[in-house]
Amino acid sequence: MDQNRKPRSILETLGEELVRIITPVSICMLLVVILVTVLNTHSEGSSIGPSFTTIATIAYSESSSDSIWDKLKGALLNSLVFVAVITVVTFLLVLLFYFRCTKFLKYYMGFSSFLVLGFMGGEIALFLIRDFSFPVDCVTFVIILFNFTVVGVFAVFMSKMAIFVTQAYLVVIGMLVAYWFTLLPEWTTWVLLVAMALYDLAAVLLPGGPLKLLVELAISRDEDIPALVYEARPVINSDSSPTGDVLQRRVWRERRNTGSALDENSDARPNFNPNTSPVTNSNTTPGTYLSVGSGENEINLVNAEEGQVFRGDSELAAPLIQHRINVRMNSEEDASPSENFALEGIGLGSSGAIKLGLGDFIFYSVLVGRAAMYDFMTVYACYLAIIAGLGATLILLAFCRKALPALPVSIMLGVLFYLLTRLLLEVFVVQCSLNLLMF
Amino acid sequence: MTVAAGIGYTLLALGPSLSLFIAVIAKKPFLILTLLSSTLVWLISLIVLSGLWRAFLPFKTASLWPYALIILTSVAFQEALRPLFWRIYKRLEDMLDAVADRVSKPRLFITDKMQIALAGGMGHGVAHAVFFCLSLLTPSFGPGTYYMEKCSQMSFFLVSAIIALAFVTIHTLSMVIAFNGYAEGNKVDQYIVPVIHLIAAMLTLINLAHGGCIISIPLLYGMAVVTLGHCGKMVWTKLAENRSRQGSSY
Repeated sequence: MDQNRKPRSILETLGEELVRIITPVSICMLLVVILVTVLNTHSEGSSIGPSFTTIATIAYSESSSDSIWDKLKGALLNSLVFVAVITVVTFLLVLLFYFRCTKFLKYYMGFSSFLVLGFMGGEIALFLIRDFSFPVDCVTFVIILFNFTVVGVFAVFMSKMAIFVTQAYLVVIGMLVAYWFTLLPEWTTWVLLVAMALYDLAAVLLPGGPLKLLVELAISRDEDIPALVYEARPVINSDSSPTGDVLQRRVWRERRNTGSALDENSDARPNFNPNTSPVTNSNTTPGTYLSVGSGENEINLVNAEEGQVFRGDSELAAPLIQHRINVRMNSEEDASPSENFALEGIGLGSSGAIKLGLGDFIFYSVLVGRAAMYDFMTVYACYLAIIAGLGATLILLAFCRKALPALPVSIMLGVLFYLLTRLLLEVFVVQCSLNLLMF
Repeated sequence: MTVAAGIGYTLLALGPSLSLFIAVIAKKPFLILTLLSSTLVWLISLIVLSGLWRAFLPFKTASLWPYALIILTSVAFQEALRPLFWRIYKRLEDMLDAVADRVSKPRLFITDKMQIALAGGMGHGVAHAVFFCLSLLTPSFGPGTYYMEKCSQMSFFLVSAIIALAFVTIHTLSMVIAFNGYAEGNKVDQYIVPVIHLIAAMLTLINLAHGGCIISIPLLYGMAVVTLGHCGKMVWTKLAENRSRQGSSY
């Protein structure tokens, strides 16, 4: 076949952004599921780790002998406490950001990454070593763990490492935190997930919500919010002309993700889109258009459904672009990602790549990990539901074009599918396939 | 029977799909998204069916007709969804062509359209394999195994993996045939797909009898081969006439 001479079809580039964010989410979920199955089957009889008292179980410790109503009440209490703590911490974050204590936040984030990777990661490694009787001595273990942790802190803390290393460490951090969340009692976990989804909704959309305040502060100052975010590798379009490279590096303004903010910067586009507005003219300057951002392609595709083509006013503002690039360079040093596990959300990075907050990774993986504790059928169903929710949220973003929370749709769909699978689907499928009846 | 056996059963059911995925679908992100959405749709259809049937399950009888009824309704429901799929696909195709025009890339080739159909069909097949076969494979990763009395020659896991493989093939290729049938208005293609699906599903009813799987599995694979042959012939003729049309237009 003359595939080499055929021009690249549109199928090869469409949807690439979405796939680049779905892949790490899927990998994180897969790792959590594997961890959950491996560690839980091995420690069937023995207790799992230390007695688990955390913020999330401070109000009520579930025991299997309680009635359903007691469990529900206890779980609600736990979740309320947890959400309250998260709210307080987020308001604290807003306050600190308001007083420009960015350095402090950065160091705090680095410190918590160290804790997560070092202590949580170390403890899980110890579980694995114990279960598989892996022969390793203390000194080697400590050295390896320490090196692993320090490299992770640097990768996440200072953004000068190879992007793959940073991405890998972010996924690992998400996996570790998610695994620890799955150790919570069952009812607490589910009610907590729903509560976090509702909190996310409130914090981003309500006028007084902390995350909304944070986003507005960041926009007004044109600064980056310190948070742990996963940035997908930017899609480099190979057809871009050389002059397009400059524009390509600065597609979206710095309206980064913040907590639960699916964001769109609609006002950045007029500033650099050199293409003139009518759709028909785009054929004359394909190179520049393509380089202006593959993120734009996707948004335009989605807009095409509505029959509208979003085109900003076409002012070519070269000095503005230069200024923005400088701003980005400067702010990149001190606005490196840091942590707040309560911050979730999707945003659009400086090179048009999609950014997803680590909190999203964590809660998606918690849902799937919890589903894995029941059966694998629920895992598949919840995985599909979450991915569908993620896609739907991105499409909603393209329509609404303002800050949107990333958790609610996926979590609600995930919980719904879990219940449906557990109550309805499983009996049906098991009945059919145990008799080898398939369709 | 240990992790190796578990992985073996998984690959038995999903191996060809995996290779198809890596060779054809993984390079084109749009096809990955198509696969995921069609898997989701199949899952939703399965949930709806189980919702309908939940009140009557689990069956206490060993007679044939409740199972036959389940299969009939399920196949009917899923085949009813296929024209819906086609309509959504038509709208999608127009959108894609519009986008292609805007970014001054070529419009969808005939191979692109067939690949979208393939990805959709594979979504159905993978969903089938996952929910009917893989989700029950969990015990096989452990130290034991399970034999059914009605089919005592092979372990239950092996039988279900083999049947799943046949169904994956049938599902994957049916979508290509069906889309081609709808595109050309070819009634034969349009109707042959539900018929094949129904026959294949009915064949599994033979498994209810003692030793039935010895008969039904070869027949099922016969159906899969028929589907494969039909699809191959159709694709070949379509590509040939497309090439000749392109050749004559120069």
